[in-house]
Amino acid sequence: MYWVICYINYELMTIPKILESYNPQEDIWDELMGDDGVRPIYEQFVRSIEGISHEEMEGKDDLAKKLFMTQGITFTVYSDREGVEKIFPFDIIPRVISSEEWSVIETGIKQRLKALNIFLKDIYHQQFIIKDGIIPLKLIYSCPLFLREMMYVDVPFDIYSHIAGIDLVRDADGSFYVLEDNLRTPSGVSYMLENRSMTVRIFPDLIPKNNVRSVIEYPSFLLKNLLGLANRQTSNPTVVLLTPGVYNSAYFEHTTLARLMGIELVEGRDLVVENHHVYMKTTAGLKKVDVIYRRVDDDFMDPLVFRPDSILGVPGIYWAYRKGNVAIVNAMGNGVADDKAVYAYVPEMIRYYLNEEPILKNVPTYALDVPENRSMVFANMDKMVIKKTNESGGYGMLIGNKASEEEMETYKKAILEDPRSFIAQPIINLSTSPCYIDGKMQPRRVDLRPFALYGPDGISIVPGGLTRVALKEGSLVVNSSQGGGSKDTWVLGS
Amino acid sequence: MARYMERTNGLLRVLRTNYVASQDEIKQYNWRSVLQTYGYLSPSEMETIQYNSRAVLEYVMLGKENEASLINNITRSRENARAVQDHITKEMWHNLNAYYLLIREPSIRQTIQSGDPITALDALIRHSLLLYGTIDITMSRGEAYSFLNVGRFVERAIIITDVSDIKLKEVNYRLDDELTLPSLRYLLYSLSGYEVYLKTSRGIMTPDTIMKQVLYDESFVHSILYCMSHISRYFKRLEGQSIPESFAHLDFLIGKAYNNLKYSTCDLKGGVSIGALLNQTRSDLYNIAIAFNKHYFGYN
Repeated sequence: MYWVICYINYELMTIPKILESYNPQEDIWDELMGDDGVRPIYEQFVRSIEGISHEEMEGKDDLAKKLFMTQGITFTVYSDREGVEKIFPFDIIPRVISSEEWSVIETGIKQRLKALNIFLKDIYHQQFIIKDGIIPLKLIYSCPLFLREMMYVDVPFDIYSHIAGIDLVRDADGSFYVLEDNLRTPSGVSYMLENRSMTVRIFPDLIPKNNVRSVIEYPSFLLKNLLGLANRQTSNPTVVLLTPGVYNSAYFEHTTLARLMGIELVEGRDLVVENHHVYMKTTAGLKKVDVIYRRVDDDFMDPLVFRPDSILGVPGIYWAYRKGNVAIVNAMGNGVADDKAVYAYVPEMIRYYLNEEPILKNVPTYALDVPENRSMVFANMDKMVIKKTNESGGYGMLIGNKASEEEMETYKKAILEDPRSFIAQPIINLSTSPCYIDGKMQPRRVDLRPFALYGPDGISIVPGGLTRVALKEGSLVVNSSQGGGSKDTWVLGS
Repeated sequence: MARYMERTNGLLRVLRTNYVASQDEIKQYNWRSVLQTYGYLSPSEMETIQYNSRAVLEYVMLGKENEASLINNITRSRENARAVQDHITKEMWHNLNAYYLLIREPSIRQTIQSGDPITALDALIRHSLLLYGTIDITMSRGEAYSFLNVGRFVERAIIITDVSDIKLKEVNYRLDDELTLPSLRYLLYSLSGYEVYLKTSRGIMTPDTIMKQVLYDESFVHSILYCMSHISRYFKRLEGQSIPESFAHLDFLIGKAYNNLKYSTCDLKGGVSIGALLNQTRSDLYNIAIAFNKHYFGYN
């Protein structure tokens, strides 16, 4: 048997057979392998799996698939006007993050979220940041996600984004970059929780042996924050989770969170507004609702104010919210802060509001309504990712080095027609992490979405997150709707 | 028979919850209190396995030398069922027999030793539920059914007092400490009471409200008071088939146990006070069991 031998931290580390065919690409950061072989944070895990045979690994992979299926951990994909429930592909090999790296991520996200919340408060009130010339007025008012209806609305504790899913990627230099700030209704946290319970089943004893920090407290933290938002005069507040319904792609997550927090899962038709208060219909009559954790987009929240054809929302809820009779989580109008064109200004926001240097880097972003940027991007389109400013989920995106001439031309035309709606970023070489695919370990691109909770007592982040993985070889798109999967994220204790 | 089956079901849930807890902690998980309650190991023997989840599971589930093990419980339950086959349905007997065969399958031991123990625990729990469903669907509501249920609820109440005591022991009967809550959360998991708790308490975890649910909540199927009221309910159905003196004696004991609990002046914020109530309740339940054996089953 051939064994590769390398030296790590002055200790002899043999690379098990299972990793012999593992070949990370050059000029891409690999989470498992560094220049000197297996990185120290993965050593314990690698040692734990070195004795596992190919058949056992296959068995573990099968067990994971079976468990996801039997436990109904699915998401819905729509095609031909038909919803199909699919398992969110799960890769059994965890992604490991050291306590030191986590500490930087945690501090950086807290800093970013704090600044973004102040920005939202500012932008919907005095707009100092515009008056001081930090952000152009046009950029804000041309953003389709900016809600004039939120002007001068006072939200509880001045918190707008109570739940944020900040997408991080690691570039070839090993440093983390923020790719997106998801401040509206970020999803995926239920998969973070389920992935952990899967790992417990697939690799018994490895969690405690590897000193992995727990993520189990997330629902308790969230519920505590939701309860804290209720009107102080209410001793026994009612909190509900508002879902668009069973056909929503994240419905599994809605039911899971409602169950884990012990709150009612409601649809728009279960709620009614009377005298600017929101009530839930129950068998015992109407019951006043104090806090709504909504998973319905802004546009659909109130047909009397936003889209009149919406049947997902509640007529009159906007005015109940505006009068402070109900707390809505996340606040409406947050989209202006996670607009991809506004994203470029987040480092400036941090400096402006907090007088601090940003801890986490931004990916360089070029607004395409600036003619010079546009020319530069058009000249280097094969090195760029072009994104629509108000789309998510991997949609409305063109990756230059994978796009055909025809696709590029289509995008150029669309950009020239509406330049404000596009930005460009250089292609980031997302880091790779080992995945067990087709019976062997293979490197695949990953990102990381930690979930930050902002409540009256401050910001808390459970140590972990959703690591999304582009399961197709060579792909950079990690979104579940585009062939992506996920894996458990281990943050090691210190 | 019913008591053995209930004990099996309760023990499976306790083991599953403790195993999951052992996987979610950075520190080494100590099974000592479980071993003390469901085993007969000497202190030195206990020390050798108390941090080894698989060894503990093997001993408590499959240890034939352990009188309290699952395998012995199921075997005894099957033996009892064989003796009363004329009082139970054929479906129930088949199920119990299949349960007996399942726990003897080599795959169960193998899974506990080197696979995913939760798979083995879940397979057994599922069979337990199947058995309860079979009893519910196939048994006529006669004398045998009432006896079965009295036994079931006596045993369930004893298990609840035991597992509550295990968790209180883990925190040295101190309920004023933040560290108490994880332990009590796992108590709720063991009793399938976590989701109910969240719904009724709006997620605010306090030791006294958790203990209140476990002790007194009559709509929670794993509270001691619920079990007591069901012991009484099913026992009253036996009045027509009982010797009046025997019935009166048992009726008195059941009523006394119920009232001792329901009208206790236990301080739910004090672990020691709850510990004393649990001891008193356990003693009342054993008295009921002993009286049953004496008056209804002819054991002296």
